[in-house]
Amino acid sequence: MQNFIENTLKNAFPDAEIHVVDTTGGGDHFDVDITTAAFAGRSVLQQHRLVYAALGEKVGYEIHALALNTHIPG
Amino acid sequence: MSRDVQKEIADLVKSKPVVLFMKGTPSMPMCGFSARTVEVLKACQTPFDAVNVLADPDIREGVKAYGQWPTIPQLYVHGELVGGCDIAVAMYQSGELQTLIAGDVAK
Repeated sequence: MQNFIENTLKNAFPDAEIHVVDTTGGGDHFDVDITTAAFAGRSVLQQHRLVYAALGEKVGYEIHALALNTHIPG
Repeated sequence: MSRDVQKEIADLVKSKPVVLFMKGTPSMPMCGFSARTVEVLKACQTPFDAVNVLADPDIREGVKAYGQWPTIPQLYVHGELVGGCDIAVAMYQSGELQTLIAGDVAK
């Protein structure tokens, strides 16, 4: 699941710097730290929605919990 | 009888200035993210209404569609989705959440 998150976000945001941590080791709770220019000019709410949209319907189901930190480069 | 869950949620979030959809209750949260969001609201010293989505599966699924947000908790202030736990914590730390709740933000 960690690879899925990293690869999916990398595809969705090719310029992104991404750090994913499996916080419990159980493969369903993750910390995601992501920096991409795609977030520029967007509110934090919109930035999180972009990430959720990229990950699709796994969030809230197979991905039980996702702690998100979104950043704009620079 | 089918419920109009979307309308129920719309009415809920507009009925009070601060509404939190969470797992469990403020006194007995069933999820760490919900617990942390409750702590943030307490720290803001604001009254809020909490909706326990575990008690109502229709609301639990419905609020994900309503907020276009896939996870619980969801914090609504003045009828608008603020975000989940991470956003609530960050906005509290920056003081934005308190300002938003106080209604000092120019509309």
